[in-house]
Amino acid sequence: MLQPIASLLTMGSGMNLLYLLIVVPLLLSLLCLILPRTQETLKGLLFLLSIFFNLVLSLGLFVAQDTTVLIPWAGFGMNLAIRVYAFSRFAILAAGCAFFLVGLYSLCFIKGKSYQGGFICFYLLLMSFANGVFLANNLVMLLFFWEAIMLVVFGMLLLIKRPKPRTAVKAIILNAIADFLLLLGIAITYSLSGSLMMDVISGLPVEGAGVVGFLCMMLGAVGKAGAVPFHSWIPDAADDAPLPFMAILPGVLEKLLGIYLLFRVCVDFYALQPGSVMSQLVMWIGALTLFFGIAMALIQNDIKRMLAFSAVGQVGYMVLGIGTALPVGIVGAVFHMLNHAMYKSSLFLAAGAVEKATGTTDLRKIGGLGRRMPITGCSFLLAGFAFVGFPGFNAFFSKDLIFDAALQTNVIFYIIALLGVFGTAASFLKVMHAAFFGPLRLPQGIQREEVREVPLCMLLPMFILAAGCLLFGLFNRLPLGVIQPLLGERLAGVEYAGWPHSMLLVLISIVCLLLAVGNHILAYRYTGSALKSVDHFRYIPGVRQLYDAAEKHYLDPYNLFLSLVKIYALVCSCFDRMINWIYDVLLVKMVSFLATNFHDFSDGSTNRYLVWTFSGLGFLAVLFLLLI
Amino acid sequence: MEGQAILLLCILVPLLGAFLLPLLGRISVGLRNITALILVLLPFVLSVAATPAAMGDSPIQLHFDLPLGLSFGFYADGLAVFMELVASLVAAIIVFYSFGYMEEYDNQNEYYMMVVLFIGAMMGLIYSTNLIFIYTFWELTAICCWRLIAFYRTPEVMPRASKAFLITGGGALVMLIGFVAIYIQTGTFDLLALQGRGLDNWIMILILFGILSKSATLPFHCWLPDAGVAPSPVTALLHAAVLVKIGVYVYARLFVVNFQLEPVWTTNLPAVCAVSALISAGAALRTNDLKRIIAYSTISQLAYILLGLSSGSMIGVAGGLLYILMHSLAKGGLFLCAGIIEHSTHTKDIRNLSGLYKRLPITTISFALCAFSVMGLPPFGGFFSKYMVISGAVETGNLWIAACFVIGAIMTVIYLLRLFIKLFFGELSHPDIREGTWEMVSSVAILGLLSLLFGIAIKVPADFVTTIVEALGRW
Repeated sequence: MLQPIASLLTMGSGMNLLYLLIVVPLLLSLLCLILPRTQETLKGLLFLLSIFFNLVLSLGLFVAQDTTVLIPWAGFGMNLAIRVYAFSRFAILAAGCAFFLVGLYSLCFIKGKSYQGGFICFYLLLMSFANGVFLANNLVMLLFFWEAIMLVVFGMLLLIKRPKPRTAVKAIILNAIADFLLLLGIAITYSLSGSLMMDVISGLPVEGAGVVGFLCMMLGAVGKAGAVPFHSWIPDAADDAPLPFMAILPGVLEKLLGIYLLFRVCVDFYALQPGSVMSQLVMWIGALTLFFGIAMALIQNDIKRMLAFSAVGQVGYMVLGIGTALPVGIVGAVFHMLNHAMYKSSLFLAAGAVEKATGTTDLRKIGGLGRRMPITGCSFLLAGFAFVGFPGFNAFFSKDLIFDAALQTNVIFYIIALLGVFGTAASFLKVMHAAFFGPLRLPQGIQREEVREVPLCMLLPMFILAAGCLLFGLFNRLPLGVIQPLLGERLAGVEYAGWPHSMLLVLISIVCLLLAVGNHILAYRYTGSALKSVDHFRYIPGVRQLYDAAEKHYLDPYNLFLSLVKIYALVCSCFDRMINWIYDVLLVKMVSFLATNFHDFSDGSTNRYLVWTFSGLGFLAVLFLLLI
Repeated sequence: MEGQAILLLCILVPLLGAFLLPLLGRISVGLRNITALILVLLPFVLSVAATPAAMGDSPIQLHFDLPLGLSFGFYADGLAVFMELVASLVAAIIVFYSFGYMEEYDNQNEYYMMVVLFIGAMMGLIYSTNLIFIYTFWELTAICCWRLIAFYRTPEVMPRASKAFLITGGGALVMLIGFVAIYIQTGTFDLLALQGRGLDNWIMILILFGILSKSATLPFHCWLPDAGVAPSPVTALLHAAVLVKIGVYVYARLFVVNFQLEPVWTTNLPAVCAVSALISAGAALRTNDLKRIIAYSTISQLAYILLGLSSGSMIGVAGGLLYILMHSLAKGGLFLCAGIIEHSTHTKDIRNLSGLYKRLPITTISFALCAFSVMGLPPFGGFFSKYMVISGAVETGNLWIAACFVIGAIMTVIYLLRLFIKLFFGELSHPDIREGTWEMVSSVAILGLLSLLFGIAIKVPADFVTTIVEALGRW
């Protein structure tokens, strides 16, 4: 059924229907921008049409054959070049499904909210730009769409009116740093390889200028994915952005984009060697992100914030996996990217359902919603199983591959990864327990009867995503059959689908999970509150101070960066004032000093003029004598 | 012959027509305004007509010999026509904007005369092939600039206008010594006759004094922020769109097109630019005066243009030229937006301004469009020029300098974002203000939209620039 669409899409070699994936959402977005506020229904309809159209196209693309097309653009090798191949098909389909499901959900979620029109407009723009990134076969075209996403983030974060749009500013500055690094990286890669075409650049050595090029591109990629130190706007966005935004961007798209590019940089463009310094560096970024994200997720008392921090943490696994530069790690990372997209968006959507029903996701105010919202609860639990890496679910397999790779490189990375498993499980148990089990607790002013299960159009997407987690776990041959070919020859014929090879790794992971469960049960018995189930870690001397500092944003790299910028600006402005002083004061003084003094020499006195005349004559005479 | 007439009309119409304006102003204000606009638009239209010839093999030229090896000539190659189109397009929009902005002030006759005269001098400078004529027109622009900056005639603006005049004029005098040195060495001022010659480094330095002071590059930059006391259309015209581009244009004319430089300049000058870009970006962050911030930003962005032109690589030079276009549009737009804000709130101190979005929605959006273009974010035009300039620096092997400019780009995002947020978000500071007149609002909207349009339709300016750069035949 999809074949006709596929052949239609890849027809021709110049102006091609593939561009529809970018152009149609863009135009519809502009249309929604122009339509007046009264036409909300029409906007909704257009939105639905657009995400459906995008899904159909991406399905069609998935069965299409490899194609490359090119439209000349800005000269100097900057083309609008599109390449359909294994990874772009896979990424566009994954994004397309997420766009469709989350879009369907958002339509119900944002109904009647003041930011409805703006949300639709930005969502469609995001879709267009994301498709642009995945289709791009030219580095500048990639950068074009990549950076443009920053504007969408900015717009989305301004939708909910706040007196001071701090989060939007933070997001755009952190993204700008990463994106401009990417720009530099692309410029260096271009000068090294002599081409901007992404299918031409391959295996550049990581040495000399290549080190800088690799570093910049890598940082650009992990920056978009939300790794440390570019992460800190994401938890803030959980408070300030419309919830579906969290599900689609930090939940799905940033990981797809960031890991896609990281994969291209580490595997295709540059020849990253396993065990090399750069590989270690990438792994350390991953490990730090993982540790930091999960450690912070552990102490959150708000579902959205917990999910946002853990979204940061999970990126750590992916970066760690790709950083190993081993096929097993890379396959695991890409698989985990897909899995994370599924379970994290499902979890975010469930959090949104809770917010829709009770008006908040703060677990100090709500709890025990399981009986009132059973389907949401089930879906949350199901996705949560995947989240913690419960055996049989998709993330269990992807994490296992990453563990395998980490262990092959250095045991320290494996230990950090295991700590992550424990932390993830502990934080999930805490939130799940507090939100859905126990006696019902509601914020003041909301009656028991008012809390109801959300409508079907919201339930369905989250449930489909959660069920997908189980499906992709039980039949992991399905996704891995698509992911493994991405590595081509490097794979050397190894098969990663099916049950993990090493039983020992599985057992150790299960022990970690059991420890987390045991910890939760014991702590709950002892404290009597699910929310306090990890407090004994929080208040360990030493750790406590660190946590306190983190809560006060002292450890936020963004704040450190801003302080540096402030000092730098001070130095610059002093220097600037100094130059100004030279012109405004020093030069003026010098001129008036000279003027006054010369003035004294020519004051009209005959005697003085005579002295001048004779000394001049004398000088001339001496000169004359010397010359002859 | 027809082509030569076009060329002469381009220069003479605004140059001589300017003196008509005060007379017309006595008859009818509307007539004067329309005539001023036509006088500026006409060169634009004529240049469009001259474009095919300029881009082809036989550019239009005029040449008369004078005694003492002097000569008198105009020459319309791709570079000149490109610069002309940019300058007259932006100038026309700014003149249109002035209809609304200047309405309430005295001395409008002089204002329009000076603006049009300035454009005429600019046209003359662009097309001149003779160093002495370049110098003459150069100083003519400085005189117009001096009158225009001190337009309000208040005691605090006079010294600032003089400062601008003295610094740029002083630089120009040093440059003139350089020109004379060239004459002494070669016996001619004619650029066409000097084509492809080498140049001594000390002469280069002398000429750079003029260029850097006109283009407000460190350490000759400090007249530019001070000149923000002028009426906003003047600031836009002088400090964003046209005047400061004279320096970089002459750089391109002399050192990219004409003379062969020693390779050392592809590192030295970018290093100076890097310092200029970084220092002014930092200073922009510590300033609270709306127009000063944008002026520092101009200094910083001019360094990018000069970096591109001096990088010595093809993509860098093309990027530098594109940057001239994108920056003129976007920065002109920013200054004009600042004008609307200043006009309606009567303050330039951003500490006293906030929440203006509620009253000035179109200005806000235009400001955002222009600011994003200056920041170099896609899909705005500034993205491409910024990328190409940095790529040019990398191409030449100046990795550290490229890194400095990336830092500068990040700083640009920070200070413009700071400005944008302070101005338009939060509690409304001036509840009783209104959006500017329709001329003003449509001008800024056009500049904002053009910034966006040239980003999406980058092919048009990029092809133009590519043809120019390829015609140089250096690479």
